[in-house]
Amino acid sequence: MSSESISGGLTRVAGHREKTLAETFVLLADTLVADYDIVDLLDQLVASCVNLLGVTAAGLLLDDQRGHLAVVASSDESTRLLEIFQLQNNEGPCLDCVRLGTAVSSDDLVRDRDRWPLFVPAAVDIGFRSVAAVPLRLRDQTIGGLNMFNARPDPIPEDDRRLAQALADVATIGILQRRSTHRSSAMAEQLQHALNSRVAIEQAKGVLAERGNVDMDHAFAILRRHARTHNLKLTEVALAVVRGDVDLTAETGGTPSA
Amino acid sequence: MVDREGWAGLLAETAADRASQPLRISELCVELLGVTGAGISMVTKAGNHGVVCSTDDVSARIEDLQLTLGEGPCIDSVRGNAPVLVPDLNSPQEIAVDRWPAFLEGAGAAGVQAVFAFPLRVGAITLGALDLYRDQPGDLVGDGFSAALMAGDAAAQALLYVDTGNGEKGGPELDFGSNYQHQVHQATGMVQVQMAVTTEAAFLMLRARAFATGRSLVDLANDVVARRLRFSTEDL
Repeated sequence: MSSESISGGLTRVAGHREKTLAETFVLLADTLVADYDIVDLLDQLVASCVNLLGVTAAGLLLDDQRGHLAVVASSDESTRLLEIFQLQNNEGPCLDCVRLGTAVSSDDLVRDRDRWPLFVPAAVDIGFRSVAAVPLRLRDQTIGGLNMFNARPDPIPEDDRRLAQALADVATIGILQRRSTHRSSAMAEQLQHALNSRVAIEQAKGVLAERGNVDMDHAFAILRRHARTHNLKLTEVALAVVRGDVDLTAETGGTPSA
Repeated sequence: MVDREGWAGLLAETAADRASQPLRISELCVELLGVTGAGISMVTKAGNHGVVCSTDDVSARIEDLQLTLGEGPCIDSVRGNAPVLVPDLNSPQEIAVDRWPAFLEGAGAAGVQAVFAFPLRVGAITLGALDLYRDQPGDLVGDGFSAALMAGDAAAQALLYVDTGNGEKGGPELDFGSNYQHQVHQATGMVQVQMAVTTEAAFLMLRARAFATGRSLVDLANDVVARRLRFSTEDL
């Protein structure tokens, strides 16, 4: 293969990425000016992180205001479990990142086994070899962290880290600037709202999964589709489903359970 | 006033005694948030109403009035699913005057000048509210608002764990499981449908089953989500 075709290929790849990057930020900007749903936005951010940075997986942790962190978004189930593993064992790069309020990374987890003796084997076990975590920060306060995992032991390039920090900043704005109709709301209320929305969505997934006899991913897709089609917030739809104010069983396409 | 971490720590310690946890949380609010009194009422969608605790006679009166009259900041905060803050009950600008005429009269007579209500929530479950009052008008000072929200979260957890038998040591693991494991919330939704009950009842059933069978809530929830375990009305 000639060198020209290689560089041509790289340009195309880079061009594609520029386009995706621009599209992502336009989408996020659109979301932020509308009356957006916070969980929807954070899910979108985690997915963007995976798409834009080409990492294997990503997750987002938030301070729950009661001395713990909580997983509020993740690109897949095993990543969510790995985040929970860190919280339960009180050890790992994502916790360090939030505690220190600075980016934390490991280009090769196997070499960093001594740094996180519990986390590394668990991460390697599900196929991750490198990690990078950037903080969600507002001035001197850290409210959470955005974490990226890679299957290969490669450093995440400096440009990509800056991009990750930009995405983390969007998440911070999204969480803290949610417009409140009755007062300028405190950070605690915004964090509480984000975490509580996630819980309501999980409860709604359970209701739909049982009613429509579908799996959790399918249940979530139904919630999201209904929200988009009817121009409603995901959390509003979730609350209505759990409270029995709306029945989406017909939209599951599954066999309703008896 | 303590800092955020200190306050979180104090709230976490209240879990050591589940039976008195709601009262202890209310007492902490009085000790550290500059309010005169605090109380918690349960107001659920299923229509169960009741005063859980109060730190003094006036707070008991506030809770009682609201439940009797069916109006007031606590009721509104449950309905609106958001905090309701009334820093001056006598201010003519307050919408409260139109919304709660009977409550205002009763609360005023008891010497209440400011009241702040925080809903107790776990996802779609709304259990009631934490009401703080002051005998002088004025806003919650400093980080009082954030601290009260945190107290409301702790109280919501406390109410879900209350009334589960004697002498159970509800450790932090239990809280941890219910807070951070999505399966628990997914399983709650499934059990709600299986048993045709409210969300809070479904959560309590899950929890009671875990306790009775000596399993962790998360383990049990995993079985429900994986459809290895179904709750059935025949179990009742």
